[in-house]
Amino acid sequence: MAKSKNEYNLLAPLLIPVAIVLGLVIAPGFDSSDAAILIVLSPLVAFPIILISGQIYNGQDKWKNNLKEGGIIAVASLLIPLLVSIWIIGDNISHTEGHNIITWLTDWIEFQVLEENYALDQGRVLGIGVWIDSITLMLIFVASFLCFLICWFSMGYMNTDPINENRNHRFYAEFVLFAMGMFGMVLADNFLWLFIFWEIMGLCSYLLIGFYFWKESAAKAAKKAFLTTRVGDVFLMIGLFILYDIYDSLEFSVIFEDPSLQGTVDSTKLFWALLMMFVGAVGKSAQFPLHVWLPDAMEGPTPVSALIHAATMVNAGLYLVARMVPFVVTGDGYNGVEGLDDLGLIIAWIGGITAFMAASIAFVQNDIKKVLAYSTMSQLAYIFTGLGAAIWLYNNHHYYAGTIAFGASMFHLFNHAMAKGMLFMASGSVIHEVHHAHDHIHHENDQSDHHFDPQDMRNMGGLASKLPVTATAMMIGSMSIIGIPLIGGFWSKEGIIAETWASFFYSEPMMLGPAILVLLTAGMTGFYMSRMWFMTFAGEPKTEVVNHVNENTPWIKEPLVILTVISAFGGLLLSLFGIVDYLAGKSDHLSYKEIIYTLEHAFIPEDKKLMVIGWTTMFLSTIIGPIYASRVHGGSLNENQKSNLLISWLVTLSGKFGKQDVSEISQSSLANALQERLYIDDFYDWLISKTVLPFSRFSAWFDKNIIDGIIKQIETNSIFGSLQIRKITTGKARDYILMTAVGMLSIFLLAWGSSR
Amino acid sequence: MIEPSWIAGLGVILFGIGLLGAFLHKNAIVVLMCIELMLNAANLNFVSAAMHYGDVSGWVFTAIAIAIAAAEVAIGLAILLSMYSTQETISLEAADILKN
Repeated sequence: MAKSKNEYNLLAPLLIPVAIVLGLVIAPGFDSSDAAILIVLSPLVAFPIILISGQIYNGQDKWKNNLKEGGIIAVASLLIPLLVSIWIIGDNISHTEGHNIITWLTDWIEFQVLEENYALDQGRVLGIGVWIDSITLMLIFVASFLCFLICWFSMGYMNTDPINENRNHRFYAEFVLFAMGMFGMVLADNFLWLFIFWEIMGLCSYLLIGFYFWKESAAKAAKKAFLTTRVGDVFLMIGLFILYDIYDSLEFSVIFEDPSLQGTVDSTKLFWALLMMFVGAVGKSAQFPLHVWLPDAMEGPTPVSALIHAATMVNAGLYLVARMVPFVVTGDGYNGVEGLDDLGLIIAWIGGITAFMAASIAFVQNDIKKVLAYSTMSQLAYIFTGLGAAIWLYNNHHYYAGTIAFGASMFHLFNHAMAKGMLFMASGSVIHEVHHAHDHIHHENDQSDHHFDPQDMRNMGGLASKLPVTATAMMIGSMSIIGIPLIGGFWSKEGIIAETWASFFYSEPMMLGPAILVLLTAGMTGFYMSRMWFMTFAGEPKTEVVNHVNENTPWIKEPLVILTVISAFGGLLLSLFGIVDYLAGKSDHLSYKEIIYTLEHAFIPEDKKLMVIGWTTMFLSTIIGPIYASRVHGGSLNENQKSNLLISWLVTLSGKFGKQDVSEISQSSLANALQERLYIDDFYDWLISKTVLPFSRFSAWFDKNIIDGIIKQIETNSIFGSLQIRKITTGKARDYILMTAVGMLSIFLLAWGSSR
Repeated sequence: MIEPSWIAGLGVILFGIGLLGAFLHKNAIVVLMCIELMLNAANLNFVSAAMHYGDVSGWVFTAIAIAIAAAEVAIGLAILLSMYSTQETISLEAADILKN
């Protein structure tokens, strides 16, 4: 059983990274951008340390209790990136001069290219460097902050689960390696290193999803995730080849800022390069049609879901697409290229389709993590739609609207990562406590009840009084995802939807599809997130287990509280400081705006059409969705159960909208199709069984019969031949003498004959 | 003075006798003797050639070959003895374990 003992004294080693970073800050002549490399190096060093010492000290008391099987080392190594990134951000948002910092650290590979006239060119260099701009800053903060908090959370979640006994060092080692990949990808100053770190993350994702590799489903999910993202990665690689062919370089500084390339780029070729890269992003960010891996990836431990499949790795694809935006004319001196409308449209359409599809599948999921997984897909799709709209708007010289779409997308990435990281941790808390409670009450009686699924929301209900902190966290997180006005995601989601519609109003009929889809999805988000919350926390307990749940596991609450505060107020605060302009690169620093101005901007925009859209979104997501959800799943708690004021009020409110029976709808064919994930997985199964499998079977047949057949025929023939030859050797000395004599004689005769 | 060609002719005849004996006899000792015969026929050829060319190295080779032949006979007889102790025969018909 979990102890509620205070274990903070174990955190003493965290003073070491704090001291290191403080020392660097004080040290003269050492800039924050010089320290950026530490962000990558620190987890890189921690990875082998945890892995090797884990193998050596496994099972020993001190390793287990004082170092949390490596958890403390991991947290300490992730604290350095967090502190350094805060330092860099502090330096940058106050600087008023240009905000792009490029540090060329070292040359990596030097080579020459053979040109058409068989001469070598003057030589090229691939380097390692750091590129810091506003998007980097935002993502490095999100990544390092969430990595740190989730690692902290893991010490509670992983180390108190007996199934992980003596295996956690592997978890922490892979965790920090993953973090290294994410940091490196964000900081890389060229597409080559971006791709390398991208693949490191892919590997770690595979390892962590398959953490429970002895479970067949986990092993399969890991394979599925790896192979599906690999499809995208191949396309990304092709895209990078084309890109190198166009620019002769993969450095951001060359591609975006080298003035000699101005106007020399062929937009058709660039379109294909970017499209290929976008397919890579689709794979990584689990967008339609490469989305199938993300729901299955929930087989991994919950912290992994929180970290990789909600907060950081899936953002890698978005980051890549965000890096693609400056390829278009953005009106601020970059090497913009005209004629990329179609790219924007494709991205927006993929986003719109995924958003709608994922949200509708989330309607019927009963697994709490699956709901969150589909919600992740849906929200990422919002960001893609926003980026697509931004590319379209920039390309058609609507710079102001493009800036808002781009900035809002990046801001939504921030809000979503914070909220979703927290939601996953909160769901982890729920699962963990329900699981413990179930083990607790069934320990004495019988152990036969293996069918109990601690992730199934149909086993929960009424948890609000048992898990007040988790319930509050999850409520705020859901509100942020839904986009309840003034909270978190509202500030960014509004911008994305409005600008997608804006691009439709700027006479692009093809944008109508994504625009309608994201608008509808806003309402659907309201429904499925509320449904999840009500099913878990409101109403009567649905099983006996719920009554034994308590919230006592150490290390779990702190990240939830911190992220709750950020999700609740971060959106508003950052909006007040003009984060949207800053992220889109329109302003060099954050500066305080009037609160009235910001609110007016959000609620009463100048364009009356956009105002209608905005208010429709709010109406759908805030009123329609949640109310419908509470009619289906809401309900007050039992009389004697108490929770904090806000939750009690919300739960009681949810019981007042009456009850609606949905059993009929849930039996319909549409609901079944949604349960089966719209048969997309089945379609892929079918497709693979019709194309790849027959080909593999043919290859196997070819190998077995043709290639092996030839080899085997040669073998039998030589055996037969040697048997024939062996008959000559009789073993009798006189025969050998005869042969020798005859041989000698014939040689002599030949020599004699030829000498004449 | 005997002509060197007569000596060489004797060598050829002796060699032929030795070769035929080695083919036709089953007794290992007789075969060994026939091999000695062939060896000495070769020695006679050396001697005749040395006479013909007036070169001393032919005699030197012959002297060395005789010494080596003595050693070789000792080894051959030792092999035959050990063959007899294991197979209880020195017939070459029986010595065919390297067959095929």
